[in-house]
Amino acid sequence: MTDEADLIIAAKAGSVTAFTELVRSYSERLLRFLLTRCESYADAEDALQDTFINAYRYLQSYDSRWRFSTWLYRIAIRNAARLRTDHVAELGELRDEESDPLKLCIAHSERENLWQSARRLLSDEVYAAMWLRYVEDMSIKDVAVVLDRSNSWTKVNLLRGRRALDAELNRDKPTNESEAYG
Amino acid sequence: MDKLAKQLREDAASINVEVSAELDDRIRASLHGVTPQRSREKDVPQRPRSTWWASSLTGIVAVTLVIVLLNLNQPEPLVPLPTSPTERIFNPRLQLNTVASTEPLRKELEDLEADLKKAEEALRKEIGLFP
Repeated sequence: MTDEADLIIAAKAGSVTAFTELVRSYSERLLRFLLTRCESYADAEDALQDTFINAYRYLQSYDSRWRFSTWLYRIAIRNAARLRTDHVAELGELRDEESDPLKLCIAHSERENLWQSARRLLSDEVYAAMWLRYVEDMSIKDVAVVLDRSNSWTKVNLLRGRRALDAELNRDKPTNESEAYG
Repeated sequence: MDKLAKQLREDAASINVEVSAELDDRIRASLHGVTPQRSREKDVPQRPRSTWWASSLTGIVAVTLVIVLLNLNQPEPLVPLPTSPTERIFNPRLQLNTVASTEPLRKELEDLEADLKKAEEALRKEIGLFP
């Protein structure tokens, strides 16, 4: 049994094995996303675990008209937000650049990873919209569902995010004029 | 795919993550301890089809009772208030306590009117308008 829809049907019928297959196919993708939204690697792992537990617990409420990934990301975003709120409530705003989980997971290169720039330049929601659209390849409608926003909000903010990152990407590059006049 | 989208995808792929065996085990173990919540549709007990007439009858009886009760408790029609202010003050249909409370004011008004008349007459005499 490999088809996702079949796995979901089996999991809904109570098969933990089928759900474990789904966990396997989504865990790395989700962990990568959660890592960009959590304060530490351990928090991202906890958020991942909570996401799968909640998904399994409320699997009956999953509507098969939507993509399964849309539903999972919606749960993941909520869990990450809750963990971050707990973290801030316990320790305050203590983001340490050196222990930034995203920084630790990116190999050193001459150019800053665009997702690091995105986190610096964009709000949490716009960041998530960009990730879902360009990494997860979700439609604008699906992104809007995950973020609980309208389609027009999603379109406008994706455009803004693109502009900001485009500017960042081309910041250090010489323009055509400067090349010409050298 | 445009250049930015391609770069975003490549940069996301360069974030090195690994779901450790320990985390995988942790998730599996916790899933075994979870009881999936049943859908609400399943929780609602199905009523036998033959009881539709009982609920209809109850509904009709309830509606009839409400109509009867509403008719029984209808308030008495309101008596419209007199429109003129004078009428409102000196209306003979007023209650005794209302008349008692407005009586001193009425007397004072009459005294003031008498004083005003006297003063007017005195003034007319003074300026020679009075015959």
